[in-house]
Amino acid sequence: MAALALLLLVAFAGSALAQSLPTLTGRVVDNAGIIDPASETALAARLEAFEGKSSDQIVVATISNLGGEAIEPYANRLFRAWGLGQAGEDNGILLLVAVEDRRMRIEVGYGLEGTLTDLHAKLIIENTMVPAFRAGDFSGGISQAVEDIILVLEGNAAELEARAERNSEDEGVWWEIIPFVLFFAVWGSLFFGSIFFAIFAPIFGRKIAPGRYRWLGVNVSYGGSGSSSGSRSSSSGSSWSSSSSSSFSGGGGSSGGGGASGSW
Amino acid sequence: MTARGFLAGSISSPVRAFLFLLVAAPLLAGCGYNTIPTNEERAKAAWSEVLNQYQRRADLIPNLVETVNAFAAQEREVLTAVVEARAQATSVQISPEMLSNPEALQAFQEGQANLTGALSRLLAVVESYPDLKSSQNFLALQAQLEGTENRIAVARRDYIEAVRVYNTSLRTFPSVIWANLWFTGNEPFATFTIDTDKMEVPKVDFNDNG
Repeated sequence: MAALALLLLVAFAGSALAQSLPTLTGRVVDNAGIIDPASETALAARLEAFEGKSSDQIVVATISNLGGEAIEPYANRLFRAWGLGQAGEDNGILLLVAVEDRRMRIEVGYGLEGTLTDLHAKLIIENTMVPAFRAGDFSGGISQAVEDIILVLEGNAAELEARAERNSEDEGVWWEIIPFVLFFAVWGSLFFGSIFFAIFAPIFGRKIAPGRYRWLGVNVSYGGSGSSSGSRSSSSGSSWSSSSSSSFSGGGGSSGGGGASGSW
Repeated sequence: MTARGFLAGSISSPVRAFLFLLVAAPLLAGCGYNTIPTNEERAKAAWSEVLNQYQRRADLIPNLVETVNAFAAQEREVLTAVVEARAQATSVQISPEMLSNPEALQAFQEGQANLTGALSRLLAVVESYPDLKSSQNFLALQAQLEGTENRIAVARRDYIEAVRVYNTSLRTFPSVIWANLWFTGNEPFATFTIDTDKMEVPKVDFNDNG
């Protein structure tokens, strides 16, 4: 009971902590409600298409306010919580807009720092986003900024293709399953070995006494309850839930604070 | 099922030692033997990242000084202060083996804080030179400097967190057993403290148009 209460407490504490950050619902998380629906759909489709081509994850997030925090640590926290970019590749980009604070930031993952440099991010903010935002055109500014980011990332075409190649998921090589086969061979012989031994000893073994058999140099004795070991392989119905591909989640990338911020 | 004889019988001692290792290795790992070295290496790696980002900032400074000098040579005093602070900050180097020494880290931190101060004075002076402010070269340097300052902040935060985990593993059960039995040479790492000048309330003076 106490353990259960503790578990609930931990669960609640966890959710309370996570509450300060928005949840990743898609490639465009418009919590401030400043992007019109048509642009939002187009933006999400554009970002999905680009990720399909390059494996780079770009996510646009808008929030109403930062709650007194500076935008740089907030963006870094959000980026890491969402895990944008593929794990090991860290090729994610977060475009964050805090409306009431009038601040924006392009946070760049470790893996893209060399391609989308701080200067690129700064120029996109100053030349594309700030003029549009000052004119009140949030949807246009964000869409154009995303186009600019994609343009920069596509600038190095060879690197882009190499990155997409490295992260394509559907290519499986047959020898990748060898560790699994080995594991199940070892595990299976440990798990089922004793059961088989118990079953086969009376059949192939030599009877040395009532209820005692000798097979392969091992004495096997059966207790009064008989063949209890034979029925022990309880089949635990393991159901495999296939993850649906429609939901979007980060690939586990991280960011070291690259990028630039600005205000309008 | 009795399987004596089968095991105790004709197994030579090297094979037995190997079997013992086979069993003992995962058991030791499961008992948390690896916890302390893992956390220590993680903290050291985080420290390397801190050094890396500070070095990146130091590398930007000659170029920055050069650019400002081209437009505002009369601000010699501020420029010299930056160059001297850079020389002083880069002269304090801390290898990962020195991390358990709080005084060394304090010296390092002071040097870097001096450089931060000198840099912010330089950037404040730049405000009164519109030509300089709008020059492409300066804008590029400013963007890189801002990005680097932010990376330093992130690296410092990661280091503080890694040290917290490492220091905790030296003092909490079950890893404290290994700390006392085996890793007796491991000292807790020192970590960053807030710079004393940052704890002062910022002064606002509306009469000074500087």
